[in-house]
Amino acid sequence: MPKASPSKAPTRVADPALESLFDVHEATLPNGLQVRLLANHQAPVVSLYTVFQVGSRNERPGITGISHLFEHMMFNGAKKYGPKMFDKTLESSGGRSNAYTSNDLTVYYDDFSADALETVLDLESDRMRSLRISQETLTSEREVVKEERRVRVDNDITGIMDEELGTLVYKAHPYRWPVIGWMADIEAIRREDCQEYFRTYYAPNNAVLYIVGDIDPKKTLALVRKYYGNIPRGPAPASVLNSEPDQKGERRAEVRHPAQSPALMLGYRGPSARDEDTFVLDVIQYVLTKGEGSRLVRSLVYEQKLAVSLMLDWSWRIDPGTILFYLALKPDSDPKKVEAALYAELEKIAREGITDRELQKAQNNLRSDHMRELATNNGRAHALGHYEALLGDWRRVLTLPAAYASITNDRVKAVAAKYFAPEARSVVTLVPTSTEA
Amino acid sequence: MASRKSSSSKAAVRRVTSALKAATAPKAAPSRKSKSSREAPPKRGEARANASALTLPTLHESTTSSGLKVIAAERGPLPLVSVRLVIRAGSATDPEGKHGLADFTARLLRRGTRRLNAQAIDEAVEFVGASLSVGVSEDTLSLSLTTPAEHFVQMLGVMGQLVREPTFPESEVADARERELAHFANDLDDPSIIADRAMVRALWGDHPYGHDVGGSSKSVRTFTRDDVVGFHEARIGPKVAMLVVVGAMPPNRVVAAAEEAFSGWTGGPDAPMDIPAPKGIAQGGRVLIVDKPDQTQSQVRLGGPGMRMGHADYFPATAMNIALGGGFTSRLMNEIRVNRGLTYGVSSWFDSMNAGGVFALSTFTKTESTREIIDVALAEIAGVREKGLKPRELADAQSYLAGLYPLRTETNESIAGSIAEARLHGLGDDWVEKFRDRLRAVTPKEVLAAAKQYCFAQPPAVVVLGKADVVKKQLKGLGPITVVPASEYE
Repeated sequence: MPKASPSKAPTRVADPALESLFDVHEATLPNGLQVRLLANHQAPVVSLYTVFQVGSRNERPGITGISHLFEHMMFNGAKKYGPKMFDKTLESSGGRSNAYTSNDLTVYYDDFSADALETVLDLESDRMRSLRISQETLTSEREVVKEERRVRVDNDITGIMDEELGTLVYKAHPYRWPVIGWMADIEAIRREDCQEYFRTYYAPNNAVLYIVGDIDPKKTLALVRKYYGNIPRGPAPASVLNSEPDQKGERRAEVRHPAQSPALMLGYRGPSARDEDTFVLDVIQYVLTKGEGSRLVRSLVYEQKLAVSLMLDWSWRIDPGTILFYLALKPDSDPKKVEAALYAELEKIAREGITDRELQKAQNNLRSDHMRELATNNGRAHALGHYEALLGDWRRVLTLPAAYASITNDRVKAVAAKYFAPEARSVVTLVPTSTEA
Repeated sequence: MASRKSSSSKAAVRRVTSALKAATAPKAAPSRKSKSSREAPPKRGEARANASALTLPTLHESTTSSGLKVIAAERGPLPLVSVRLVIRAGSATDPEGKHGLADFTARLLRRGTRRLNAQAIDEAVEFVGASLSVGVSEDTLSLSLTTPAEHFVQMLGVMGQLVREPTFPESEVADARERELAHFANDLDDPSIIADRAMVRALWGDHPYGHDVGGSSKSVRTFTRDDVVGFHEARIGPKVAMLVVVGAMPPNRVVAAAEEAFSGWTGGPDAPMDIPAPKGIAQGGRVLIVDKPDQTQSQVRLGGPGMRMGHADYFPATAMNIALGGGFTSRLMNEIRVNRGLTYGVSSWFDSMNAGGVFALSTFTKTESTREIIDVALAEIAGVREKGLKPRELADAQSYLAGLYPLRTETNESIAGSIAEARLHGLGDDWVEKFRDRLRAVTPKEVLAAAKQYCFAQPPAVVVLGKADVVKKQLKGLGPITVVPASEYE
């Protein structure tokens, strides 16, 4: 994966408590597969993550949702381990597996008993080398994904609103469509589309392997070479053009749907993950919504009693992402009033910034959440992969606390003013209709 | 970082998050609340001795002068400490007509003490990067804390104040009541929450486990400050509590900090309330349709009798359930999801509590295939009831669960949870270490006996939430049908 340009990120000090935990062995196989190994002998278990640089960002209208549908297909049989054999072999060896697809990435992970390592490498390399996509399994898996879409979107109010918001925030970029895809596209994706997807994106040179747990790094690397070494390199995938135009003014949509209460979902266009503003937004996110004493929770939930609950999600993405707010309201709430209260808080941050104590509190919490994430093998493997894919280097795991520590109040003010501009927001309001509709 | 990533990446999370991230949609079955279902399965009978033993930290036990039992276990390397204060004051101890009072009281513990108001409590805990939460189950009310080790003593002091001297300010009680009522209303828009709530009532009826932990809008509407004060006095005290501390902290410092934080704690009962064993399933053999006409999908629940925590059948039943409805290769998953594409997720599990338990199945499908998914599920369960498992299937299930079991010893929180659970239910301190041996000792004959008993020997309770007018015709012949509006479960 491409690395961040070293000139851009200031030099940062690694956190000593973390550095001792991250004796990572790195290697790149001749076919381009990158490998990161980290020993941890606290329990006889191992986590393996395979991160492919492909997500809904790489799709086009007509095949939206294919990355995610294809993610399912990766469990349906390859050359050595045929249909149903992946899960069967893994589970009966004391392991489990799952995967997820995001806008930017497709990630497969396995947690397993340490003595199943070789079996897992055999299974994972088999499907990377020789996946078989049959019409029969595609037909059946498509139905599973349609049920998944029904449960996550069509029968879930926040799912419906989220989908609406995506099309407001983005006009041109593939972030416009939902990762799970439009229903009609899920129906239309063909076997040939999946085969092409496999050839394009699932080659070793488009993947990084992370193995963390009760392992011997040297022996493990030898096993990785044995199982993955002869998988041929694929062509370099085409890059994705970000042709999103600037936003010229507020965008609004209403969703009318049976519900008990109105609700609000708002999005502001943020920077890309590698932009230094990203870390300032992390601090702002914590000041606004992390904990009962955070600004928005205290003000909107406890003092003004306008919202029942709220969340802010600043998700790092390869291209400029969305700073997303969701506010659950009471049945008799007036969304306009809630919006006004929210904007007042955002303007206040842009105008006055935050207090030194709030800054320190955010930094303390970002650090302890970071530590908690690293408590398990799975968390460590995920962190390595996440930071490498989105920030360009897994070592950011070590220096992130320092990055947060260097943030000043002036930066907070400037970043809030830049991203929370009224003309840069998109607002979706849920207008309840009768359930008996 | 941590927070963001986990929300954007992991499988079905909580409601808002999961939907927002519709994206992320793993191939994963949605996670059910159940403990047993999610845990796990295991491997081939032949081998798999899982060479390495599980190493748990040594437990140091003491009692404070106020009578609170303390269990400390030192564990690194991360400079974090996890604390759990478990009190035998779960929702089963809610007074009649005041369902949800344990949960409501738990939430209010942190809204003011004699020395700190709600804001000061939030500030004290949240400033240092600690996190404090309360949780109520049928059997227990718990306070959980994770903190950077350097702030452990101070944070334990805050926890002590919350249980010793909460003030329950009138305005906080009123606000909490309003917020809860709004939550109940909004829950009506979440089909799986309402289906689960309907199922709890269908399974347990009038038993103390037979209401949602949070109660209902009808009961919560009646809560007064006096109710909360009364519950705190009557049910929350050191003699029915236990403090478990796991993490980067020497036991002698834990003992000293606990003595100071909980000194002079009085009140509460001398012994836990006795919860009677249930007498069967309240709505066994009956069908309940919860009408929600806007749905394109039906939520389906089936349930019958299970067992209390610590029952002798635990291991055979658990092994059986792994093969039936546990992992991705379970019979239910294979037949319903893989072969027929009827759902995204299906699982079965034992929900075992102190006084009794249930065996249940949960899934969902498009409205048109509601009957089909129920018939297929019942047939799969009947198959296990009649013939048990093939030896190979049992061996695979054992290996699966045994291989993954050590994951439960990865974090301070999970170790604290295991210790608390073993103590509460009298499982023995060697529960974790012996778990895999006991599991591997299960025989096909024992599995068959467990299956005969728990796999719906009598017709189960059936709950379907969805479009009643379409679904009702499909469900004929499954038992007497009752249709109620979703609003019944607010």
